[in-house]
Amino acid sequence: MTQQKQFNKAVGNASEINELLRRYGVKFGIYKDGVFNEQFFPFDPIPRVISAEDFQSMEKGLVQRVNALNEFLFDIYHEKKIVRDGIIPEDFIYISKGYLAECEGITPKNKVYSHISGIDLVQAKDGEWYILEDNLRIPSGASYPLIARELTRIAAPQAFSENHIVDNRGYAELLKETMEYSNCGGIRAILTPGRYNAAYFEHSYLAEHTGSVLVQNDELFVEDNILYQRTYSGSKTRIGVLYRRIADEYLDPLTFLPESLIGIPNLMEAYRSGNVGIVNAPGNGVADDKGIYYFVPKMIKYYLGEEPILKNAPTYLPFYDEDMKYVMDNLEKLVIKDVAEAGGYGVVFGSDLTKEKLEEFRKTIIAEPRRFIAQEVIDFLDLPILDNGETVMRKADLRAFVLSGEKTKVWASGLTRFSRNPDSFVVNSSQGGGFKDTWVLSR
Amino acid sequence: MKRVNFYYSTKLTFDDYVHNHSFALRIMPPETDTQHILSCSLNISPFVPTQQTVDAFGNNVTAGYMRDDHRFLDYEIKGSAEVDHTKHRLDLLPCYFYQSQYTKPDDGLRSFYDSIKGKCTGTASDKAEYFCNILSDTIEYKKGFTDTTTTAAQAFALNKGVCQDFSHILISLLRMDGIAARYIAGLAFCDGETHSWVEYWTGDHWEGIDPANNCPVSDDYLVISQGRDFRDCAIDRGVMFGKYTKQLQLVRSVLT
Amino acid sequence: MGTISIEHSDRLYWLGRYTERFFITLRSLDKLYDKMIDDKYGYREYLGYFGLTDTYTDSIDFIRSFLYDEFNPNSAAYCLERAYDNGIVLREEISTKSLSFLQMAKDTLTRSNDKANVRLSLLPLKDILYSFWGSVNEHIYDDEIRNIIYIGKTLERLDLYMRMKYPYEAVHKEYVRLCKNLRRVPKDTPYRYNTRYLSHIVEILGSEEEYLLHSDKAIESLGHLFDTSEVMA
Repeated sequence: MTQQKQFNKAVGNASEINELLRRYGVKFGIYKDGVFNEQFFPFDPIPRVISAEDFQSMEKGLVQRVNALNEFLFDIYHEKKIVRDGIIPEDFIYISKGYLAECEGITPKNKVYSHISGIDLVQAKDGEWYILEDNLRIPSGASYPLIARELTRIAAPQAFSENHIVDNRGYAELLKETMEYSNCGGIRAILTPGRYNAAYFEHSYLAEHTGSVLVQNDELFVEDNILYQRTYSGSKTRIGVLYRRIADEYLDPLTFLPESLIGIPNLMEAYRSGNVGIVNAPGNGVADDKGIYYFVPKMIKYYLGEEPILKNAPTYLPFYDEDMKYVMDNLEKLVIKDVAEAGGYGVVFGSDLTKEKLEEFRKTIIAEPRRFIAQEVIDFLDLPILDNGETVMRKADLRAFVLSGEKTKVWASGLTRFSRNPDSFVVNSSQGGGFKDTWVLSR
Repeated sequence: MKRVNFYYSTKLTFDDYVHNHSFALRIMPPETDTQHILSCSLNISPFVPTQQTVDAFGNNVTAGYMRDDHRFLDYEIKGSAEVDHTKHRLDLLPCYFYQSQYTKPDDGLRSFYDSIKGKCTGTASDKAEYFCNILSDTIEYKKGFTDTTTTAAQAFALNKGVCQDFSHILISLLRMDGIAARYIAGLAFCDGETHSWVEYWTGDHWEGIDPANNCPVSDDYLVISQGRDFRDCAIDRGVMFGKYTKQLQLVRSVLT
Repeated sequence: MGTISIEHSDRLYWLGRYTERFFITLRSLDKLYDKMIDDKYGYREYLGYFGLTDTYTDSIDFIRSFLYDEFNPNSAAYCLERAYDNGIVLREEISTKSLSFLQMAKDTLTRSNDKANVRLSLLPLKDILYSFWGSVNEHIYDDEIRNIIYIGKTLERLDLYMRMKYPYEAVHKEYVRLCKNLRRVPKDTPYRYNTRYLSHIVEILGSEEEYLLHSDKAIESLGHLFDTSEVMA
């Protein structure tokens, strides 16, 4: 808290750094009225600062959480002990869209399912960190703070010589190690749906910095259950690990959606045969589902026999009678989330509803108790940002990146996104949000 | 126990050259508790190297890739097996309890279930037989009204369909009733095309039932593939490139 | 990185071509600025090179269109946008650094539009492009792959020089440069020359007389240089 105050000053000049970011092409794509545009992701020069002690405990908590989630994924696609032992009701697993029966029995190399986990956290006013959600499919965003750090060090060297800030520029090396640990023999490749994808900058930037080839599906093929890249001279190069930036359903038209035009036919056969590593593993969606989120602390106890270090936002499942009673009695102060929706949709704040609407909503919840989770509204700690030269306070979250290779490691940085609108909780880049550098202090 | 000989062939013909053709076939009958494969040979023409894997549902998958131009792909299996339905299969996956893409009911099918569920009592076998009886009274076996993309709800609304549709509707009803059920594609006494039927979980093993013929499954049924619904059992799936506009498929199957 | 996909090899080739077209367009417009100080219709000859007629109200209108109009396929802005389009998918081959020069060039060109002295404000573009080429040269490690972008660059230059009726001496130099690049391409790769069309070019550019008479045929053959199948007579 007091730490943060000391650093509430801008590092360098915002327009200078944004100019540099422009020059290095830090963009994300966005569709408006069917037309593709590239936008620059606005950078705010006041860093989010995390103290060394704070980071240490966060790090332990994140490693613990991701380890438990990886154990969970292995269990679900094999023995399903956690269901049999009654820790998680089976409905929550098998109605989840993220559960892919096609992945039953597949064991990825070294049993790593979630190689790159993006864990979203917020800090409450009392300084406590809460987990908002886990992203175990294809979390994006690491490239932005990575390049921003490179540029702020040019623009404001004194900020880095005067403070003890952990250098975050090892992310590419960390990612490379993580990919190598799941490499089944061959080159590293990053699969992008193409330059009109919102995160294309990131795909190409990470390919450049990890020394991977950036590929699209039409240059790949599976022959003898081995994944190859077709090269311009007519030869083929074996791919040992594929960091894919396309969703599970589109990965292999012969296993999943037959109409997928961005997938690789028979990729799943190569994967099942252990001839290629897929980063992150298909089927991970079952572990980052809103309904499963409630059970993550229980998973930590079940698989690791440890007390969870990081807290979930207090969450209630109307599926359980006791929780249902609490939700009915306190609906007006809770936030309700539809388990099946994503990307900020299906989120309702009880305080926004009229008396009639509340009554109506109570009935919906009683009719479909499994469809919803309810959470206490956390009083976020706002962060200062520079708005036309003035410092104003805005909502912000933190996406921490946890990489699972031989060891599970937390990247000593993260993506801090903020809302530019004073009344909004939405920090998504597509909604006009911006980002900050995240400093982890070394002492 | 019965010894059967099986034969199955498909001729895929394109009206122009295709290339970079990836395919996945599910045509090699699996070795299970109720069927022992004595011999099975697979021929593919033009020659193409293939790889075998076993998918999540226990199906044998034959995967291949043909880079060069070709205008046809023929494949056939030939073999013999011992089928014995006095034995039982036990390979249950939890997903078989839940509705899948083809079996998800709409309001029509759901209210149909609600209207008959009162009379549906007894063991899982009693219920499966009851549903089958009702289906053979309600749904007419008729070709040409449905195709491989027709869902249980659509076929039910048409009141017509073929074995695939009977299977999907029965699976949907069984799952609504909390009984695990799976789709089977295979060869049966009927000649010419592949057949489809259903297996339901009795509580401790799988039991087969043929809704299109409203009869239990005997040793005259050979399983080729199984899954949540037709999608997991498609005999061949492929992706290819070229200027072709249509493909012609000729299928022949025999079980003796 | 030892190898790239077909798509990326094409992108490299076109990145070379468009970057060079942008560069030569700028240089030509700069010369025209000078010419138009004395002759306000001095731009008409340039239009003629591309088979275009004068539909412009005046020289200012012409310059605006040929510098900034992204819908004019002969404009500097158009060429730069295409160069950027090809470059953006080659980040891991040519590096973020090289790409940043294209972004800088775009920004510099856009900004010059508001400046009182456009010609002066375009001067840094030359430096930026030389830096771009230096950076590309530095970052592509594999000679065979680097050669592809230089083939695009040299071929574009030769094509434009001939269209703009450059003197034989200048054209011949670029022709020799292209031949050197072409000889490095291994057989059975996409940028291996087509013997038939290359021999046409060799015949015409071998002597000044032939060049003056048949440069249009040489331009045509240049367009077929990478046709895969030998055409039957």
